[in-house]
Amino acid sequence: MTSALSRSLRSPRVLIALGMIFCIAFCAVFAGWIAPHDPGDQNLLAILQPPAWADGGDLNYPMGTDSLGRCVLSRLIFGARTAMLVALFASLGAMIIGTILAHISGYFGGAVDWLIGRLVDVWMSFPPVILSLILMVGLGVGLSKVILAIVLVDWTRFCRVLRSEVLIVTRHDYVAAARLLGFTHWQTIVREVLPATTPLLITLISLEMAIAVVVEAILSFIGLGVGANTPAWGQMIADARQYVYQSPWNLLLPIFAIFLTVTAFNLLGDGLRRTLDVRLAETGR
Amino acid sequence: MLALQAKNLVVGARIDGATVPAIRALSFDLEPGKILGLVGESGAGKSMVGRAIAQLLPAGFAISSGSLLFEGEDLLRMAPGARRALLGRAIAFIPQAPMTSLNPVRTIGAQFDEHLARLGDGSRGTRRDRAVAMLTAARLPRAAELLTQYPHQLSGGMCQRVLIALAFSSNPRLVIADEPTTALDVTMHPPILALIADMQRQHGTAVIFITHDLRLAAQLCDQVTVMYAGRAVESGPARAVLSTPAHPYTRCLQLANPSLRAERRALYVMPDQMPSLRQLKNLSGCHFAPRCPLAAEACRRGEPPDIAVAADHHVACIRAAATRTIAAMAGDSVAAGAAGRPLLQVEVLQKHYTTGGGLFAAARNVAAVKQASFSIAENEFVALVGESGSGKSTIAKMLVGLELPTGGKILLNGEDLTEPSLRSRVRNAASLQMVFQDPQSALNPRRRVASIVTQAMEAGSRHSSWDERLARTRELLAEVGLSTDFAARLPGQLSGGQRQRINIARALCTLPKILIADEIVSGLDVSIQAQLLNLLARLRAELGFAMLFISHDLSVVRHLCSRVLVMYGGEIVEEGAVEKVFADPQHAHTRALLSSVPPDEPEAAWPSLERGAS
Repeated sequence: MTSALSRSLRSPRVLIALGMIFCIAFCAVFAGWIAPHDPGDQNLLAILQPPAWADGGDLNYPMGTDSLGRCVLSRLIFGARTAMLVALFASLGAMIIGTILAHISGYFGGAVDWLIGRLVDVWMSFPPVILSLILMVGLGVGLSKVILAIVLVDWTRFCRVLRSEVLIVTRHDYVAAARLLGFTHWQTIVREVLPATTPLLITLISLEMAIAVVVEAILSFIGLGVGANTPAWGQMIADARQYVYQSPWNLLLPIFAIFLTVTAFNLLGDGLRRTLDVRLAETGR
Repeated sequence: MLALQAKNLVVGARIDGATVPAIRALSFDLEPGKILGLVGESGAGKSMVGRAIAQLLPAGFAISSGSLLFEGEDLLRMAPGARRALLGRAIAFIPQAPMTSLNPVRTIGAQFDEHLARLGDGSRGTRRDRAVAMLTAARLPRAAELLTQYPHQLSGGMCQRVLIALAFSSNPRLVIADEPTTALDVTMHPPILALIADMQRQHGTAVIFITHDLRLAAQLCDQVTVMYAGRAVESGPARAVLSTPAHPYTRCLQLANPSLRAERRALYVMPDQMPSLRQLKNLSGCHFAPRCPLAAEACRRGEPPDIAVAADHHVACIRAAATRTIAAMAGDSVAAGAAGRPLLQVEVLQKHYTTGGGLFAAARNVAAVKQASFSIAENEFVALVGESGSGKSTIAKMLVGLELPTGGKILLNGEDLTEPSLRSRVRNAASLQMVFQDPQSALNPRRRVASIVTQAMEAGSRHSSWDERLARTRELLAEVGLSTDFAARLPGQLSGGQRQRINIARALCTLPKILIADEIVSGLDVSIQAQLLNLLARLRAELGFAMLFISHDLSVVRHLCSRVLVMYGGEIVEEGAVEKVFADPQHAHTRALLSSVPPDEPEAAWPSLERGAS
């Protein structure tokens, strides 16, 4: 595993993605120190200011101000905190539920598999956006509610994809061999099946992080997200939408922030999958 | 004019930036209407010849020099269009895997029609008549009905007959058959070979027959070329090469193959394995020298020239005169262990599967094992033979507990393993272990060898320290004849034979009283198979265990086991001491199995092939 890790760290995809994610995470953690202003501070004398590099820009607001005169850069930096929290916890939560059910379903098969399979079918037959909207209406707004809504909608994604991988791995004779050597079901799943599904799991987590960022933005955009007092990229887009002709930067900057974050997570997932999988690495493709 | 002539053909492979010859200076002449056998173990380069003709070399391989003349025209310098016109018409192929070589979503008739239409055969009606005629000639009953069927409705043997009919329907002048029987059941071998020989005679076709089986080549072919690590080491008339082999490799290969009919003898064990392309890069001199019992200093200095030992019989060895002195060491002989008291008793074991059974279909009950009763004594090696689908593997799975029997008892040391409450406890205590068929699938690719072979030591609530496990790994690796530095390797870095040794070592970790071995040598080359057979015999002498050896290879069974159970259609139809059963088989299926093995002596007649041909 150490060699796989060091191999990952030599992959340019992984390095670039980790660099980007590190920057975003740094902003998220140290938002209070980095941000030039409080994200909620309004300066009604300087609304809709362009960024510093544009005509009429002010260095005091490097990326300009929004319609309430709030610093866009500060809001972007604090928005990163929201996005990263949602990405991390929503994907971990969905991963835990989905992975456990997928392994039980694929490993034991039979009636258990049928039951979990039908549950996933029913769950997936709700349109995901509608389902999360309904959940948000029921749960109310707030960061933890957004995370919960994403977990409850997206665990099926893990369950579906991982189950088929578990099915393939379970067919291998080494899984039967482990049982014959006296492994319990739990040991067999954790020590024989799980290591084989981990590369896929890691890919799915990073993809899910990207999806969580987008879903959080959607929910915030329609005002059913983290709440009005917490800065979020989706909310910034919604606010900027009305003034798109006066100040397009207000719209473009949060979109670019989302784009960078999603790209970084997708790149990371792809790079890790290519390097973590022993089979791909040892046989030389 | 020769049907096919290879002149100094060289196929190179790109490895780590350098070009290594995968086929080195191969030359042969194939006259019209003759069969040339290309014989060798996997990795010898024999399949590369067929691929070179079709110009379907794998990525990284390319023809570097030489020529391949088909009726005087060089296939390698021909325009691609002209070559395409020859392939499938004047040159036809019979593939190795019949089940996957037909399109599963189209009927046999549609596929036949398409091929005949490409040949420009008249109207749909005449094409249909021709298809029926060809399928009938391939001895397929009810050919007209067959045309409307899909490949999955046919058995492997029938698919291969269809493919043979397809291959010969263009009246080809050259047919390349790449291991056409390897994927089929042993009882299907003689009829399929007889059919190829028969079609070849009728159409006057030249055939290149690629095989790993020397005895088979001797029966079927006119000429054989034995290949080793990309070089033709010996070539000549089939019977001469097999009766008086001049190259040490041919001789060793013959001695490594257990015999079905001759007196039971020790197997000759060649050390190591054929060098891989990567190893070839750094090998100078004769490539067989590292494994050769006759190797002298001169062998390692330069590549041996081709020497004629008789008219038309060439060998690439400077010590060919001494070849006939090679003999198996007496110490390698298999001493039949003295059977002790009964260890495992199986009483009227049954297994039924319920298939289908949904909303609209009634469930069907299929008996995989109708009933099986047998016993195995301590230290006894018992063989279970039969075709695929006869229920051998189902019995193995029930014995180890991977499947639950529908009925019957499995008594190990008098305790019933089918009792649910006792099952796991008894099995752990009395240690019944299984060695799986496919070492690729049986070894977790993410575990290192040390972790695999001592996996039993981390099972359940046992907690062994890593030092204990490493110590046990060293013992086990020594038992199976591997050096200690294998402990840190991953399965992906091992060869097939080495993987199977690890597979055996893992099963032996807890010192089981009985091993269930499911076709453990069938996927391996003859020289590796001989190493493993001797290993098993030595381990029995050292550790003392019984084994149920599931196999379809009767020669191997006769060499290793003292008693044999013959399975057919889910039942044990014959049982007894190996020598007795093989000398005087009672059941028709046992006779069919026995007659599907070609004789040892190339001069001896093989009735199965003759009868099929009539």
